[in-house]
Amino acid sequence: MLWIRNGIVVDPKNKINAEKMDIFIKNGKIVEENEVKKEECKVIDASGKLVVAGGVDMHAHIAGSKINTGRTMRPEEMRVVRNIAGKFRATVGRVLLTAPAIGYEYAKMGYTTSFEAAQPPIGALHTHEELDAIPMIDKAALPVFGNWHLVFKCIEEKNMEKLKALVAWAIERSKGFGVKVVNPGGVEAWMYGGNVKSLDDQVPGFNVTPREIITWLIKANEELGLPHSVHLHCNNLGVPGNYQTTIESIKLAKGFSNAKRQVLHVTHVQFNAYAGSSWRDAGSGAAEIAKVVNSMDNVTIDMGQPIFGHATAMTGDAPFQFSLHKLIGARWSNKDTEVETGAGIVPIGYLPNNPVHALQWAIGLELGLLVDSNKVALTTDYPNGGPFTEYPYVMAMLMSKKMREGELSKVNAYVQKATGLASIDVEKTLYEVIHMTRSLPAKILGLENKGHLGIGADADIAIYNLNPLETDTSKEFEKVYKMFKSAEYTIKGGEIIVKGGELVKEVYGRTFWVDATKKADIQAVMPDIREYFNYYSVQLGNYGVEERWIKKPARIEVV
Amino acid sequence: MAVVIKPKKFFEVCVEAELTPELALRSVDEVKKFKVYYGNKVVELGELFEVAKQGDEKKLILDGDFSRVKWIGARMVDGEIVVKGSVGANCGAFMRGGKITIEGNADDWLGIEMAGGEIIVKGNAGNLVGCAYYGDAVGMTAGKIVIEGNAGNYVGEKMNGGEIVIKGNAGDFIGTEMRAGVIEIHGSCGFVGGDMRGGEIRIKGSFELLPTFKKTEKGWVGDVNVKGEGVIKTF
Ligand SMILES: [Zn+2]
Repeated sequence: MLWIRNGIVVDPKNKINAEKMDIFIKNGKIVEENEVKKEECKVIDASGKLVVAGGVDMHAHIAGSKINTGRTMRPEEMRVVRNIAGKFRATVGRVLLTAPAIGYEYAKMGYTTSFEAAQPPIGALHTHEELDAIPMIDKAALPVFGNWHLVFKCIEEKNMEKLKALVAWAIERSKGFGVKVVNPGGVEAWMYGGNVKSLDDQVPGFNVTPREIITWLIKANEELGLPHSVHLHCNNLGVPGNYQTTIESIKLAKGFSNAKRQVLHVTHVQFNAYAGSSWRDAGSGAAEIAKVVNSMDNVTIDMGQPIFGHATAMTGDAPFQFSLHKLIGARWSNKDTEVETGAGIVPIGYLPNNPVHALQWAIGLELGLLVDSNKVALTTDYPNGGPFTEYPYVMAMLMSKKMREGELSKVNAYVQKATGLASIDVEKTLYEVIHMTRSLPAKILGLENKGHLGIGADADIAIYNLNPLETDTSKEFEKVYKMFKSAEYTIKGGEIIVKGGELVKEVYGRTFWVDATKKADIQAVMPDIREYFNYYSVQLGNYGVEERWIKKPARIEVV
Repeated sequence: MAVVIKPKKFFEVCVEAELTPELALRSVDEVKKFKVYYGNKVVELGELFEVAKQGDEKKLILDGDFSRVKWIGARMVDGEIVVKGSVGANCGAFMRGGKITIEGNADDWLGIEMAGGEIIVKGNAGNLVGCAYYGDAVGMTAGKIVIEGNAGNYVGEKMNGGEIVIKGNAGDFIGTEMRAGVIEIHGSCGFVGGDMRGGEIRIKGSFELLPTFKKTEKGWVGDVNVKGEGVIKTF
C-alpha cells in the first residue's frame, strides 16, 4: 500500500488540472482512500511536485527483427555504456538500446508503457522473446497486415467474414494487439523492385488497391471491435508531395464511427507531411493535414518528431528504406520480405544545418502544435526520428515559443521559408502535453486503465520535481526539460522503480494481447491458411506464440 | 622523466589501459593510481605493474610482455612509447601524434583511425591495421605505420590518408573501401582493393587482383564497381 501525499495532480482524462490531492494505491491499482489502512501505507511526500500517470508510448520499435538487425548493423551504437552490471543489468546503446536499457530509460523518464509498432506475424516469437527481455514497462506489439497475400485474397474475394477471421486468427497466433498497416500494397510491389504511388494503384499480382486495403481493414477492425483502431503508416512515406496522399488516406475514415475512440490512427505523420515535388523545393504540408485532422472526429495521429543527432530508420516499408539508402548512401539491410510483409533498416543522423533534416524537424513540431491536443500523440517513432529519451525536449518545445525561437536560430534557414513554424504562436499547456503523452495515447490504444489516475487505474505513476502552480512552462523551458528527463519517482504497478532519477527496483511488466477469436468464424479462413502454408518457411503447427511462452501475458478478450 | 612500466604477473584476462606519454609528466605515485580495467574490474595501475622513473623525456618504456594489454597509446597526441615486448589489441588507436615503437608483435586493430604520428612494429602485426573501428565510416586519415614483419587481413580498410608500409607479407582484403593514402607491401598478399575509391596500393610480390580493376599506364585502376579511382601497382 502506497500513499502519495499532497502532490499537484494533472490528470486530463479525469479533468484534473493542477489540484493538490492524495493518491492511494493497493494491489497495483489506484483505490479510494477508505480502501487502505493509512498506518500501513508507505508514504511519499509529493508536496509541490507534479503527479501524473506514467507515460504511454503508443508507437516505438523496441523489439523484434528490425531493431535487432539495427543493433547488428550498427556496432558503433554499442559503444555507449549506460549501466555496468551490478544490481541492474549491464546496458549499452547510443540510440539503439539493448533490451534492458529500453526498459530502464523509459522508467527513468517516468514512462511505464510502450508498444512495438510493427511486428511481422511470422517473427512474433522473436518479438515476444525480446519484449520479455525488457524490464520495467508494460508492452504489446502490433502485427502488420497491409501487405499480406492472404489479406489481399480476402479483399479480392470481397469476403469480409474471411478477412475478419484472418485478422482475429493472426492477432491471436502472434499474441498481438491490433492491426498495423505499413505502406499498403507498396511492400508487395517491392517484391518486384517497385512501389505503389497512389491509393488507386493496383498491387502487382492482386486485384486490390491501397484504398481497398485500408478501408477493408478498417471495416474488419471495427466489426471485430478491437480495442485499438487500424494503425496506418501511409503510402509514399518520405516522398516530397506526399501530404496529399496522407490527407486522402485520412479521409478514408469517413463513413466509420466508434463511440470510444478514433477509427483510424495515422502514425509518424511528419514523414508523410511533405509538400513540393523534390527535396530541392520540399515544404511543409503540416498545416493542411492539421486542418483535415481537426475537422474530423474519428482520426488521430502521432508526430514522429525527429531529434537532431543519431537515429536509425527501420520500417516495414521496404521500398522506402531502399530509396533512403540510395539517397544518403548509408548501410542498408532488407528484412522480413516474404508473403506477409517486408522491412528495411538504414542508419541516419539528423543535422541542424541540413535543410531537409531541419524541414523534417520543423514539420514534426508544426503537427504537434497545429493539431488539436486531443488528436495528436507525442512520438519520435523511435528510433526512426531519434531516441525516445528526448521526449522531454519535444514536450518543452510544444510548451514554449521562446525555446522554439532559440532552436530555430540554430537550424538551417530553409525552414523559415518552407514551413510556418516561426509564425506559430501556440504554446501547449502542461495539461495538454500530459494528455498527449499519457491519457491520449492510452485512449487511442483502447487501454482503459492506463494514462490516468482515476480509481481502478493501474498504479503507473510519475512524480516530477516541478510545481505546475509555480512554473511558467513558456519561460522556464530548461527546467521543464530537465525535470521531465528524470523522474523524481516512477511507480509501476504500485512499486517504486525509480527514485531521484535512479533505478531502485527491477520489475517486469505485462504483455497485452487481444483475443477476438470469438468475434469471427475462424474456420472460414482455415482452408486458405492451410493452402498458403505450402509457401511458408514454417509449418502451420509451428506458427505463432503460445500464451504460456510469454513471461507475463495479459489477455484482453473482445466479446 | 620517462616512466618505466613492467607487468608484475601474467594477466589471466586482458587489461585495458590507455597508457600515453602524458603519464611521464606525473609522479610515480600518481602513475600507480592511474585507473585501468582488469577484466570487468577497475583497478589501479600499481596493482598490476611496477612503476619507475628514468631519464627526463616525455616517454613511456613498457618493459615486458604487454600482449594482453589493450589500448596502449590510444588517443596520444605527442611524446613517445617504446614497448620492449609485444602489445595487445588497439595499440595507437585514434592517435594524433608522437611515436610508438613495438619491439615485438602487435595484435589486431593497430593504429585504427589514426590521424597523425608514427608506429613502428619490429615483429608482425595482426588484422585490421589502420582501419575504421566497428561501424565507423573512415579509417586512418594521416600518419605512418611501418611493420617490419608480416600483417594480417583487412589492412587499411576504409583508409582515407596516411601511409602503411609492410616489409613482409600481408593477408586478404588489403585496402578494402580505401579512399586515400598509400599502402606499400614489400612481400606478397591476397585480395586487394575491393570497393576501393581512391589512394594507392603498391605491392612488390604476388597478389590477387579482382576482375573489377582495369589496366592503365598508372597501374590497375578501380574498383569499377563503385566508380573508384584507386591505383594498384607493382614496384
Ligand atoms: Zn514506426
